Amino acid sequence: MKRVVDIGVLLSRSGMYAALSRASRDGVFRGVEEVNADPNIDVSFRVTERDPDGRLDRYAPLCREILRGSQARHIFGCITSASRKEVIPELERFDGILWYPVPYEGFEASERVAYMHSCPNQHLLPLLDWALPTLGTRAYLVGSNYIWGWEMAQIARERVAAAGGQVLGDRYLPIGDTELDHIISDIRALKPDFILNSLVGDSSYAFLARLAQLKQEAEFADSLTVLSCNFTECEIEAAGEAAEGLVSAGPWFQPDGGVDGSFHEMARQSVHELALLLQGRPGAEELPLAELLHMALRSGRSTRLDPVHLHARQPAIIARLENGRFNEIKRLPAMRADPYLTQRSQPAQTGCRLKVVS
Amino acid sequence: MTRIRTGNLGGATAWILHRPHPSVQGLARQLGVIGLEVREAWSDLPTAAIEADFIFYDADMGHDEQFPWAPGQSPMPMIALIGSEAPGRLRWAMEMGAHAQLLKPMSDKGVYAALLVARSNFDRANASEALIADLQSRLSARQTIVRAVMIFVMKGKTEAEAYDLLRQTAMGWRVTIETAAERLVANHSNERGTDDGRRIDPA
Repeated sequence: MKRVVDIGVLLSRSGMYAALSRASRDGVFRGVEEVNADPNIDVSFRVTERDPDGRLDRYAPLCREILRGSQARHIFGCITSASRKEVIPELERFDGILWYPVPYEGFEASERVAYMHSCPNQHLLPLLDWALPTLGTRAYLVGSNYIWGWEMAQIARERVAAAGGQVLGDRYLPIGDTELDHIISDIRALKPDFILNSLVGDSSYAFLARLAQLKQEAEFADSLTVLSCNFTECEIEAAGEAAEGLVSAGPWFQPDGGVDGSFHEMARQSVHELALLLQGRPGAEELPLAELLHMALRSGRSTRLDPVHLHARQPAIIARLENGRFNEIKRLPAMRADPYLTQRSQPAQTGCRLKVVS
Repeated sequence: MTRIRTGNLGGATAWILHRPHPSVQGLARQLGVIGLEVREAWSDLPTAAIEADFIFYDADMGHDEQFPWAPGQSPMPMIALIGSEAPGRLRWAMEMGAHAQLLKPMSDKGVYAALLVARSNFDRANASEALIADLQSRLSARQTIVRAVMIFVMKGKTEAEAYDLLRQTAMGWRVTIETAAERLVANHSNERGTDDGRRIDPA
């Protein structure tokens, strides 16, 4: 007999990054379906859902509404870092836990957030360590104008400089903005070896389309490789053929050419991870997340999340989009997250020298 | 900007000078997450703490004698843990040399920022002190230069010639003008001291 545990879902079904949040939302509901159908799991999840419509100011009140209006303590949601930072005070005040299954820029370790996707030592640094020796060291950075875009550029800047490379320029666009003339003319003039694209949603698709036009000119035919840590299978359709050749880093790429991608998969896995933590422990959903993890570890179960900083262990996979599907180029085995980038030891196989400058 | 932003926090040592209290665990946890080695002490900071990279100290119950250095003379960045915002306690915390602060109850928030702000303020204070010392020594060197020039003037040179002579002397000796002036003034005093009876009237 399954016991019913309430959970919350806080993901936008419309707005500038709806493709991403729909993938995440579908993943959560797939996970819930699987858990509820599994006779070996003694938990069944009941969902209370709120839709912030992609509007930043809606996240905190709706998070509060879930925590106060239902029995749910665990909420699956948020895509942007800005929205995650909006809900953390609500989680603290009303004793909630956020399962956050998308990549982010690091430099955070809230006791109330399960960081289930990957952070820069698991996506951006392996990607640059592949790109710098392979593509060249002259980089151009574009990103959405908020913390994800800024911090990805900042980390990239340091890594590129440490490898003796050069950042030729960096530009930021408001989320959803598609005014790209100045960026394209920059790229035309500077001819970078690669472009790190940390644009989100519609801006990203518009950028890829404009860049594809530029690449039709003979001079740029086989150059201007685009790198991304947030472009996954769920955006292939929206971006269309213009995304061909893009190289992405993430913990999971779909083997069968499907279009769910890691946003969907990590959301699905998050639901399973919670079910495993609650398995056989009535009332455990009320416990702090670190305690849940320690209990699981003590009973000999392995957990995806690290009980110290609540970030998931993840492999780093680098894949290129070819003929509408991602093909793996390189894979680093599952590694511990390093959210503050303070672990000195770097993977030996990076092929580029890391200089620590104090 | 080539500086690695994490500024070698990984493996750095932080001491927490606070009586055992549940909220210290939040701070210790976050320091551990960031990658620091954490040690705790109460009520006195052991001498080994002089090697620490950061000190977090209780502003509520702290006093001067807890530290193996004089107030404001810590050899590392200090972060005050503030509960009571009474002016007396805040004054003490500042006299001890708070480079940054955290408000109680401590949580997972603000720790990384406090580390970076404290280190930046500590470095800036040290740089300012070094600059002031340098400026002071150059200020006193200016007096020496004037005296050295006056020595040549007394020997019949114009002021411009005297300054030029000083410059050439410095170049000849391959030292700074300040050092050359210092030597000339010292020699001149020696001459005057030892050859007291045979003073040459430069005029």
